[in-house]
Amino acid sequence: MMGAKILIIDDESQIRKLLRVTLEAHGFTIYEESTGRDGILQASMIRPDLIILDLGLPDMNGLDALIKIREWAEMPILVLTVLEDENGKVFALDHGADDYITKPFGMGELMARIRVALRHSARRPDEPVIQIGSLTMDLARRHVEKNGTPVKLTPIEYDLLKALATHAGRVITHRQLLKQVWGEQNLEAAGHYLRVYIGHLRKKVEDNPANPSFIVTEPGVGYRLVTPN
Amino acid sequence: MRRHTSIRPKWRVLSSQMTGWSMSDTVVYGDHVNKYTLLPYIIVTLMVGFMTIIFWKVGYAFTLVNLALLYLLPVIVSSVRWGLAPSFYAAAIGVTAFDYFFVPPIHRFTVLDIRYVVSFGVYLAVAIFTAGLAARLRQRVRELSEREAITSALYTLSIQVAAGRDLDTVLGEIVRHASDTFGLPAAILLPDAAGHLTVRAEEGLQSHGDAPIPESRIVDWVYRHGRIAGYGTNQNRDSTFLYVPLKTESNVHGVMCIGQQQSPNVNVGTARMRIVQALAGLAAVCIARIRFEEEAKIAHLSAESERLRTALLHSISHELRTPLATILGAVTGMTESGDILSPDDRRELLSTIREGALRMNRLVTNLLGMVRMESGMLQLNKRWCDVSDIVGVALRQIGDALQHRTMEVNIPDNLPAIAVDEILIEQVLVNLLSNAIKYSPDGSLIRLDCMEYDGIMTLCIRDEGMGIREDEAEKIFEKFYRSDTDTSVPGTGLGLAICKGIVEAHGGEIFARPAEPQGTMITIRLPVGD
Repeated sequence: MMGAKILIIDDESQIRKLLRVTLEAHGFTIYEESTGRDGILQASMIRPDLIILDLGLPDMNGLDALIKIREWAEMPILVLTVLEDENGKVFALDHGADDYITKPFGMGELMARIRVALRHSARRPDEPVIQIGSLTMDLARRHVEKNGTPVKLTPIEYDLLKALATHAGRVITHRQLLKQVWGEQNLEAAGHYLRVYIGHLRKKVEDNPANPSFIVTEPGVGYRLVTPN
Repeated sequence: MRRHTSIRPKWRVLSSQMTGWSMSDTVVYGDHVNKYTLLPYIIVTLMVGFMTIIFWKVGYAFTLVNLALLYLLPVIVSSVRWGLAPSFYAAAIGVTAFDYFFVPPIHRFTVLDIRYVVSFGVYLAVAIFTAGLAARLRQRVRELSEREAITSALYTLSIQVAAGRDLDTVLGEIVRHASDTFGLPAAILLPDAAGHLTVRAEEGLQSHGDAPIPESRIVDWVYRHGRIAGYGTNQNRDSTFLYVPLKTESNVHGVMCIGQQQSPNVNVGTARMRIVQALAGLAAVCIARIRFEEEAKIAHLSAESERLRTALLHSISHELRTPLATILGAVTGMTESGDILSPDDRRELLSTIREGALRMNRLVTNLLGMVRMESGMLQLNKRWCDVSDIVGVALRQIGDALQHRTMEVNIPDNLPAIAVDEILIEQVLVNLLSNAIKYSPDGSLIRLDCMEYDGIMTLCIRDEGMGIREDEAEKIFEKFYRSDTDTSVPGTGLGLAICKGIVEAHGGEIFARPAEPQGTMITIRLPVGD
C-alpha cells in the first residue's frame, strides 16, 4: 500500500503543499493539479490509486469533475468540502465519491480516510468474515457475534449491518443504504424506517446506544461504521 | 276655507327655503324639519279652534284679558315644538279668533274700543318675541346635537386612526369617513419619492366613469402654499373639488380633495367646512406621527447597527488576534530556536498552535452562522431525527474538551422522533455543551436531560459552573453580550445568540436560569411535529 499514487486536485496552493508534505512523509507519491480540467487530464494519464478532489474549484464545479472522472475510472475519490455544504456532500457521495472530509480537517482524520479507501479498493470482494473491533460478521452463515456472544438480528437489521460493514470506515448515504436494504422502493417513505432500524441495531451492537461508537451518524449525510485503528 | 287659502303660499316659501338649506348638507344634517311641514299648522289650527269652542261655551267665566293670555299658549307650544313659522301662524289665527269671537262687537272683525287695538298689538309683540326666543333655543339645541354627533364621529375616527400603524390603512380610513360623511368622492394626495403628488387613498373617485379628478395644478398650489382652495373658497371657486392642505405646525404633508356633485355655486356650510378641516388636521397629524415613527425606527436601527459594528470589531480584533498571536509566537519560536527546544517543549508549542487554530475556526464558524442568520439565509432542512442521535453526534464533536468533567445523559427510550434540521440543532447542542464546559471547573458534572410532553421536546443542559445572575438570564442571548463576571473566559458573545436564532427558527424557545445549588441551566423547548 505504501508508495500508492495520490492525485490532489485543489486550487489552494497552501492546502496542496500541506497535503504533499505530510502525505509524502507517509510514503505516498503525490501529483498536484490546481484546476478541474488539468486534474481530469492528469487522472487519465497517471492512473492514480486515489484522488483527493476539492469541490470548490475555480474553473469548473468539482462535482462535474467528479462525474467526468467517474465515467471511466474506478479508483477511490475523496472529496474536500466546507462545513455548510451538506447537499454537495450527499450529491458527491451519490455520484461516485467514496468519502468526504470537511475543511478544516485534522491530518489523522485524513490519513484514516485514505487508508480505508485504499484498503477497500484492494480488498477481495467475497471476503466471508468481516471483523470490526469486537464485532464479527460471518456473511456465509449470516451470523453476527459481539465479544464472542451471538447477536440476534432481524433480516432487515442484518442487511443493514451488512451494508454498513461492507462499507466499513466509509460513509454511506441514506439513499445508498435504502437502495441496498429495501431495493428500489419509495425512498421517501422508507427514510423513516431507516432511522428506526438504525436505532434498533444500535441497541443490539453498541455498548452505549446514546453515544454510539460503532454506527455513527454523519449529520445530513448518512451513517458510518467506524473501524478502530 | 279662507284660512286655508291664506296659509298655503306661506308654507310653500318656507318649505323651499328649508330644502335649499338641507340640500347642501343632506347627509350631515338629517332633514327631520321637513317631516312636519304641514302637520304643525293643522295642529295649531285645531288647538286654536278647540280653545275658542271651550271659551265660547264657558267664556263668561273668563275676563277678556285672561282669554288673550290663554291664546298665547298655542304660540309658545308651536314655537318650542316646530319653530318660528308655525308660531307666527298660531299668533295670527289666535288674535283673529280672539277678535272675531270675544271682542265686541262679537262676530265682527271691527273693534269698537280703540284700547283693544293696543291689546292686540301687545299680544302680537309678546307672541313674536316668545316665539323668536323659543325658536332660537330650538335651533341652538339642534345645532349642538349635530355638532356633538360630528364630534363623536370624529372622535371615533381619531381613535381608529391613532391605533393604525400603516399609513395607507389610516389614510384609507379617513378618506372613507370623509366620503361617507358628505356622500361625495374624497381623496388624499401625498408626494411620492420623486416629489410628485399622487393619490395615496381615495373613495368613490373612480366609481363614475368620466367623473372629474383633482386638478394637479390646484393640488400643487395648495401643497406649496398650504392654503385651502376650490369651491366655497376664495381660490379657484369654480373648481369641482375642494382642496384642503394637510398641515401640521412645521409643514404641509399632502392635500385632501373632496368632490362636488351639485353645481359649484351651492353654498358650503360652515359646519361642513369645519369637518373637512378637522379631517384634514387629523390626516396631517397621522401622517406626521407615522413619519416620525418611521424616522425613529430608522434612527434606532442605525444606532443598533453602529453598536453591533463596534462589538463585532472588538470581538474580531480580540478573538481573532489572540489565537493568531499564540500560533505565530509558537511557530516562530520553533523555527528560530528549534535546536534548543526539548521534544516536550515542541509538543507543548504544537498543542498551543492547535488550540489557537481551533479557536479561530470556532469564531469563524460562529461569525458565518450569525451572518447567515442576519441575512435571512438560514434555511431549515427539516428531517425526522432521533434526539439521541443528535445528542450522540454533538457529544462526539465535544470529544476531549470535557477533560475530567463527567457527562451524564438522560434520554428516555420511548422518545418520539422530532422534525428538525439536525445539523443546526447539533450546532446548538455543541455551543451549549461547549459553554457548559467553558464555564465550569474540571471534575464537575454536566447533565443533559431530555423529555417529551404533549408534542413539545424539552432539552435541559445543566452545569455546576459559575452560574448566571437572574437579571442577565435574557441578556446572555443577545449578540455580543458578555457577562461582566467572566472576563477571564474567552468568547465572542455569539454562540448563544446563534442558538436562540436557530431554536426560534424551529418555532421553539430557549431560556436560561441559575441552577440549584450552583451553575447554569439552559432549557430548549422544540415542537416535535413538522
